[in-house]
Amino acid sequence: MSHPQDWTLRQQAEAVRRGDLSARELLDATIARIIERDPSINSTPVVFEATNREELNPVPPGPLHGVPITVKDMFALPWRAARNGTSFDLIPASASGPYRNLRDSGVVIVGIANQHELGIGTTGTESAYGRMGNPWNPVHCSGGSSGGSAAAVSARLVAGSLGSDSGGSTRLPASYCGVVGLKLTYGAVPYDGYFGAATTFSAPGVLARDGGDARMLAAALLQRPLAQQSGSGLRVGIIRDPFWSDVDPEVAAAGERALGAAGWHVHEVRLDHLELASAAFLSRLIAETGVPPNDVLATLSRPTRSLLLAGMLAPARFIPRADRVRAAVRESLAKAFQSADFLCWPTTPAPAPTLDDPRVSLPSGSAFADLSNVRQTLLANLTGVPGISIPIGLHSSKLPIGLHLLAPWGGEARLLDAAEHLERVTDRAFVDLVPPLAR
Amino acid sequence: MSEFEEWAGATYRQSNIEVDPSDLALIELIYAGTIHQLEALDHIDLEKFPAVGIDLRHAPKPS
Repeated sequence: MSHPQDWTLRQQAEAVRRGDLSARELLDATIARIIERDPSINSTPVVFEATNREELNPVPPGPLHGVPITVKDMFALPWRAARNGTSFDLIPASASGPYRNLRDSGVVIVGIANQHELGIGTTGTESAYGRMGNPWNPVHCSGGSSGGSAAAVSARLVAGSLGSDSGGSTRLPASYCGVVGLKLTYGAVPYDGYFGAATTFSAPGVLARDGGDARMLAAALLQRPLAQQSGSGLRVGIIRDPFWSDVDPEVAAAGERALGAAGWHVHEVRLDHLELASAAFLSRLIAETGVPPNDVLATLSRPTRSLLLAGMLAPARFIPRADRVRAAVRESLAKAFQSADFLCWPTTPAPAPTLDDPRVSLPSGSAFADLSNVRQTLLANLTGVPGISIPIGLHSSKLPIGLHLLAPWGGEARLLDAAEHLERVTDRAFVDLVPPLAR
Repeated sequence: MSEFEEWAGATYRQSNIEVDPSDLALIELIYAGTIHQLEALDHIDLEKFPAVGIDLRHAPKPS
């Protein structure tokens, strides 16, 4: 019999429901897998062995009864404060809104997923728990900020994880680690006990190995069904510059091949005011992020600390202008969705760089991965729409490549339909790729 | 001490934020880059960018 963490989330839930495997046996096997396999990637630095033994029985018998997942350090749990990648209890222990929804579907929280400190980074190079490695090559970044979530799912430590996304933090690590990462529509779940409540950009996200598992976990998180429909024949809008033009040529080619395989109707769209989107995003984000208390500030890495301190000096005069631009970009995006079921481009412009030198080489030159990554994903956070990253194969560096789709507000099911359609037409060639760490 | 360091240091002191002086060079670099990017917002035509309410949970209402 194979290890249950080599099964999908759906198979695990079905096995527990049928009684083929008890929730206790599944939890024990999962903890053993984490202990055995996590040291080289540091995705899950906290495991709740004792807590889970007590939690198993009271958990309601939902569709995911007894299935273990990890939760990013941004969400408070009844027995654990949210630390947001620091060594401080920043949100006291409590039942956060996203946790309550997942608990009511029956999941077991097996541990805390590592993350980039304070969620300010897309590489996973900085965290109070130590940096995170990529299961495809542990000296490369797992991504961020939900890097521990993506790495754990990719390495088959768990089949699902709760992440979050304020500028791409679910989708970017999903791309780096070769898994599915779905950012929800802004405000679609209760935000109490969640760091994302402090910004107008953040939304919880789910990480899973395929579209079916992401659908099941997202439905649990949203507490509503995400009905499956055909993902064929969809209309895809693409924005060439910069999302396709300033990316690694192999990444762009993989994206083109995936679109061709899917057989979708592809056309180019123009998004008015796109050139102002990053300024509007930056203006509001630094105003909303603020600076933590001195004791926390002193423990942060120099890059994170300096980013926060530089941000607090920015003049407030830009904020009302940023909001005007934000409204105009939302209007422009809504118009684009009149002729496209979703918009599409590569998630990360290049595969995961090394932890020691997190820069990427692009047609425009060498760039810090953080800057070029967020350029690809911030539109969803600026406007509130859902987005997904789906695996579409490997780069010649043997690192994963991801394709990024955006759907209209509330369109999570459509994104999952597209992901599952691509899986079908490619015979699951990409979602079933197994990283060396998990072989 | 540069003008930036004097100004930034005074701002942090006023807010009771403790800053390691060796961080100031990186802070200045990031600040300069941030302002350069934000200045694009100074040049927008306010007539073309009306102030409207935003509900991020939903699509904008047709104008």
